[in-house]
Amino acid sequence: MGAANNMNPPDDDFEHVTRLIAGDASALRPLYEKHGRALLRFSLAMCRSQQAAEDLVHDTFVAFMREPTRFDPAQGTVFGYLRGMLRHHVSRHFRREKRWVALEGDDGAAPLDDSAPPDDEITRSEVTAAFRRVMLELPLQHREIIALCDLEELPYAAVAHILRCPVGTVRSRLHRARALLTLRLASLEMIDLPPGLALAQEGYS
Amino acid sequence: MTDTPHPRVGALLRQYARELADVEPSRDLDARIDALVASPRSRVEIRPARRAAREWQVPRWATAACFALLAVAVGIIIGMRLEHRATPTLPVADVARETAWPPAEFSMWPADSVSIKVPADYSADGRLVAVDPGDHRTRARYWVDVVVSNDGTVRIEKVVPAGPLDHGTTQKNGPKKGEPDVQIQTP
Repeated sequence: MGAANNMNPPDDDFEHVTRLIAGDASALRPLYEKHGRALLRFSLAMCRSQQAAEDLVHDTFVAFMREPTRFDPAQGTVFGYLRGMLRHHVSRHFRREKRWVALEGDDGAAPLDDSAPPDDEITRSEVTAAFRRVMLELPLQHREIIALCDLEELPYAAVAHILRCPVGTVRSRLHRARALLTLRLASLEMIDLPPGLALAQEGYS
Repeated sequence: MTDTPHPRVGALLRQYARELADVEPSRDLDARIDALVASPRSRVEIRPARRAAREWQVPRWATAACFALLAVAVGIIIGMRLEHRATPTLPVADVARETAWPPAEFSMWPADSVSIKVPADYSADGRLVAVDPGDHRTRARYWVDVVVSNDGTVRIEKVVPAGPLDHGTTQKNGPKKGEPDVQIQTP
């Protein structure tokens, strides 16, 4: 799969979507090659296991293939639409996982839910693995805003469009999420806060 | 409000983002996308592999319902055992006697009643009135058998004319001297 290049003119995407609407299923392949990795990156930031993340990406493309006519070019780009769908699938995945309880322990199979320990193969170093564990301990809303703003480095306006909320809400959520992340990292002694710095003064409480 | 994360947190975030970007999609995902492209749209199915894994899991509500049902059943069993233990055991004959209906000695009539023999005579206005048996100036011309029951009813059994020897205490079936003129009648 080629590297994700979201800066391509969206006309290609629209052409692929038009073909998909016309019934040409092969038009899905270039869309996957173009956006699949970026979607997987977001999904990996949200889920503990790579299998669950890939399942959600797969579900996103399945849903897009089933109903490509629901995409409205006036509302945004194809990639934005796919990421919005992926976000809904992630939310549904976590809601669904809450309703299920495992009857047996880890039997060696890949973890299906987010109660399992995170996949450490995703990260290369111990520090990043520890950081990933802290990230995955964050509430879903905070994890999502950090993934979009700090990992994907999307502008606040784009994130506000994805989350369907005002930019001010994005800023405040991001502030709280970073504060929580900083506090957790400091408690694990992964970072040093300046001596005498009150967390409350920095908004980290 | 802070718009930039803590410097060390920012460095960790960038490193984490780089490592996430380097993750390659598995061959399984590529193959599933290829299968998706190759299959007709109507036969598209979401994650068949994960459906099989669900067989080993049950919904939380089902688990809670099972536990609740089990708790109720255990409660009923314990309650039945406690109740059974508290009930005194009766001999078989007693149980049979208590459960037989109607019992042999049961009677719809009152259990106790007294029959009183009252000396009586007609008054001047023609009514039958009791007379004092100890008063020799009066004379009983009739004996009135009155039955008084313990349910509060009083009934006159019969009125018989008194014979020449049945005056006061000299009647044949009357009470002896010093004894009340009362006899127990068994219904």
